[in-house]
Amino acid sequence: MMNPQEQLLVALQDLDLMLKETEDSREELSRLGFDVSGLEELRRARLHLVSQLDRGNVTHYENILKRYGRAITPVTGDACLGCFAKLPTSYRSSLYEGKVRTCQSCGRILYYPE
Amino acid sequence: MKVEDLLSFFDPKHCIFELRASTKDDTLEEIVDLIDPEKDGTNRQIILDMLRNREALGSTAVGKGIAFPHGRSLVVSRLMAIFARSSSGIPFHSLDGEPTYLFFALLAPPQDRSNLYLPALGKIIELVREDAIRERLMQAENFDQFTAAMREGKQS
Repeated sequence: MMNPQEQLLVALQDLDLMLKETEDSREELSRLGFDVSGLEELRRARLHLVSQLDRGNVTHYENILKRYGRAITPVTGDACLGCFAKLPTSYRSSLYEGKVRTCQSCGRILYYPE
Repeated sequence: MKVEDLLSFFDPKHCIFELRASTKDDTLEEIVDLIDPEKDGTNRQIILDMLRNREALGSTAVGKGIAFPHGRSLVVSRLMAIFARSSSGIPFHSLDGEPTYLFFALLAPPQDRSNLYLPALGKIIELVREDAIRERLMQAENFDQFTAAMREGKQS
């Protein structure tokens, strides 16, 4: 189960993806008939999300985002799907409850599907 | 994209033939509640927030009584399509100001390797532009009748 900071980080990445896709595919979305005029509204939602996150998590997220284009990656079979490095099985234990887990190899923030 | 390929993203469990909701937000909640967290591996609140953000960007109700709530999320493991209907219509801030009756929600992972998300969305829009298909969708009582109505577009 994701802790509140992990939930917020995933929501932040979803929002960043929506912002990027809207900017990249604006023409196609308009052609399909969609109104995408609320980019400012989305940017305000992003600021609100960021304000709820710990500063250190935001800094780490932003740094990894700049490096890889996406900061959070799913975990499959105890491997980071960003760089395929093997992750410690202890990451799944209660020792890490409440903590944001990152890949020791590439630094990406890890998302463990439920 | 072929109609059959599109229909493979729908599931009988992901259809509501009479929404209980009467507001926009309740409609999104009812749609998200269809997803089984065990089977579909999703997190309800994150999906709901994503769909709400998408509506904040601009209403997905494009007029003619149809809306297409859609978006990508890390918590979605595969492309999923959901059909929902309200026979009384729901105020969904549609572009033509009219109530919305037919809802097609499309949820996708951040990266679908075959990039099916926008083509699937485009195909649904192309099909339901036809008045006859919308009329049949308004009459459909089960999943078979829903897919039959969608297939009608293939023949026209």
